[in-house]
Amino acid sequence: MNVISRGIKNAFRSPVRSGAIILMLAISIGLILSMLVARSSVNSKITQVKANAGTNITISPAGVFGFAGGGNNLTTADVTQIYKTAHITSTTATLSDQLASTDTNLTPSLTLGNFGARQARFESSSSGVVTASGNSSSTTDSRPAPTPHTTVTGTTNPNSIATNGGTLSITSGTTINGNSSSYVALLGKDLASKNNLTVGKTFTAYGKTFTVSGIYTTGNTFQDSGIIMPLATVQTLSDQAGEVSSVIAKVDSSDNVSSTVTALKNTLGSKADIVSQAQQAADSVSSLQSISGLALASVVGAAIAGAVIILLAMIMIVRERRREIGVIKAIGGTNRKVVSQFVAEALTITVVGSIIGLALGVVVSGPMTSSLVSNSQNTTSTQASGGPSGGFGGGGGAFIRSSFSRFNSNLTQVTSSITPGVFASAVGITLLIAIIGSAVPAWFIARISPAEVLRAE
Amino acid sequence: MLEVKNLTKSFNSPSGKVTALDNVNISIKTGEFASIIGKSGSGKSTLLSMLGALDTPTSGTIKVDDVDIAKLSASKQTAYRAKKIGFVFQQYNLIPNLTVLENVMLALEFGGMPAKKRRVRAQKLLEEVGITPDEMLRKPTRLSGGQQQRVSIARALANRPSIILADEPTGNLDSKTGKMIFDMLHDLSRSENTTILAVTHDMDIAGKTDRTFTLRDGQIIA
Repeated sequence: MNVISRGIKNAFRSPVRSGAIILMLAISIGLILSMLVARSSVNSKITQVKANAGTNITISPAGVFGFAGGGNNLTTADVTQIYKTAHITSTTATLSDQLASTDTNLTPSLTLGNFGARQARFESSSSGVVTASGNSSSTTDSRPAPTPHTTVTGTTNPNSIATNGGTLSITSGTTINGNSSSYVALLGKDLASKNNLTVGKTFTAYGKTFTVSGIYTTGNTFQDSGIIMPLATVQTLSDQAGEVSSVIAKVDSSDNVSSTVTALKNTLGSKADIVSQAQQAADSVSSLQSISGLALASVVGAAIAGAVIILLAMIMIVRERRREIGVIKAIGGTNRKVVSQFVAEALTITVVGSIIGLALGVVVSGPMTSSLVSNSQNTTSTQASGGPSGGFGGGGGAFIRSSFSRFNSNLTQVTSSITPGVFASAVGITLLIAIIGSAVPAWFIARISPAEVLRAE
Repeated sequence: MLEVKNLTKSFNSPSGKVTALDNVNISIKTGEFASIIGKSGSGKSTLLSMLGALDTPTSGTIKVDDVDIAKLSASKQTAYRAKKIGFVFQQYNLIPNLTVLENVMLALEFGGMPAKKRRVRAQKLLEEVGITPDEMLRKPTRLSGGQQQRVSIARALANRPSIILADEPTGNLDSKTGKMIFDMLHDLSRSENTTILAVTHDMDIAGKTDRTFTLRDGQIIA
C-alpha cells in the first residue's frame, strides 16, 4: 500500500460527500466540454460563412426593380467590365421578359388577383381576356381588362433562380446550358402542370418552338410559374441584343465585398444600382461570433467553478484531517509523502468527476449547441418575416428571400462534433483544475505541525 | 542514552512571553523506563514534543545516542522520528481508514523497509502484542480501546526505535486494561532494551517505573 493507493482509497472514505463533490465537478466539466464543442463548431461555421455567404453583389439598372420602375438595361460591355473587376470570380447575367398571350401558346398559371390587377392597371396593354374575374372586374369597368403574363428569365446560370441560394431543384429532366442560344427551356412546376407539359414536349414562344428540357421547383409560386431560357435566346428573340436586367457577381471572400462594391460604383456610375450582402453577412457572422465568445466565457467560468469546487473540497478535507496529517508526520511521514497522498486523492476525485462530466458533456453538447444556435436563429427569422412577399419582381424579391434563407441554414447547420482537439483541451483544463485544486491544500498540509498530535481535544 | 541539557522553550503569546520549559536537565540510560508526572500546563507535553522532534527548543540540547536532535534539519528530524522514535498516544491516533495491519505497515514504510517485507513484519509485531489475524484486517475503530493501544504499541515498535515516548498511554483505559498496557511497556524495556519515557498523571503507574521526574511550571523539581 503506497501513497497513491492510500490517496485513492481516501477519496472514497466518505461516499456521500465524495459523491456530491464529484457530481458538482462533473457538471462543471460537462459544461466545459459542451462549451468547447459549441465554440469549435460555431468557429468552423464562421469560417464557412465568411467563405460562402454574403459574397454576392447584385447589379441592376438604376431605377428598375423587378418589372417595375424605369431606365435602361445594362449592356454586354457593362457585364464585361463587371467581370474584369478585381476579386470577382464569376458573374451571372439575367434578362427578364414577360410573355403576353399573343407571344406564346402557354396559359399563365398565375391568376392576377387583387395584386396583379393593380399592377396591370398601369400598363398600356389592352388586348386579351380577363382570366381572373370576380370582384376585380367590377372596379376596373372603365379600363381594358388586364391580362396575366408569363415571366421569362434568360440567364447564364439557371441556378441563380433558386430561392435558397443553392442549386436549382430540377424535378424531372435536365437543366439547360445558360450560355447557349438554342430553343430549350426549363418550366416551373405550376406552369408545366397548368399546360400539361412534360420533359421533351414543345411549346411556342416568340413565334419559335421550344423544347422542355426540365421541370423545376423553388417553393416560390411566382418562380414556379415562370420559364427559364438561355440568356442569348431571350436577348435575340425579345429584340434586346446585348442587354441584361440584372447581374449577380460573386466575390472571392466576404472581406472584399465592400471594396468591390466601391470599385463597381466608380466604374458603372449612376446607371446601375449595386446591392451587396455585406451587411447581412456581417450580421450573421457577428451573431455567431457572439455565441463563440459566450461559449469561451462559459468555458472559463466553468473551469474556475470546477477549480473552486475541488479547492474548497480539499481545503475542507485537509482541515478535517489536521490531526491525522499530524500523526502521519509524527510517525515519520515526510511532507512530500503526505502532499502526494492528498494530490492523489484530489486527482482521483477529479478523474472520476471528469469521466462522468465528459460523458455528460458528450450527451448534452449536441442539444446545447443547437439551442444556442436556434436562439439566435429566431432573431434572424423575425427580420426575415418583415421582407417582401414573392410575386413582385424577378431579380430583387427572390434575391432578398434567398439571402435570408441562406443565413437561416447557416445557423441550423452548425454541427456539434467532438474533435480530438476539443476533447484534449477539455482533458487539459480538467488537469489544470486538479493541479490548482491541490496546490493550495498542499501548502496547508506543509504547514501543519506534527506536534498537532499532542494537542488535547 | 538520552541526555537533555538546559532545555528551554518559550512562546510569544498575546499576553506576553510564556516559558513552557525552563532550563530542564534530565538524563535517562538506555533500557530505562522513566515517567514524567506533573499537573496540566506544567510543560509535560512540550517536553515530550521536544524529545520527539515534533517541535524545536528555544535553547538547550537534546542528545540521543550522542546526536543533538535539536540541531537537525527538518528532513533529518523526520527521519529521526521515523527510525529512532516510537510514539504511543492517549488517543491511540491510528489512521481510521486503514486496517490495523496497514497502520503498522505505514510506520514500516516510513522507516524505509522494503515493501515486500512489511506485511510479514507487521503481522509478527501485532501477534506479539496479542492481536489476532482476524482483528488485523479490521479498521481500528472496530477494536476496543485496549486493543487499539496494543496496535499503537506495535506501530511504535515497528522500526526498533531507541526511545518510545508515551503520552498518557493508559489515560483512556480502565484500570485493568491500563495495567496490562503498562506491563507490556515494562516488559518491552526489559526484553528489547528500549528506553521508555511515559508522561502520566497516574501516581500508581509512575511509582512502578525505574525513575520519575516531576515537572512544575516548566521546571524539574524531583
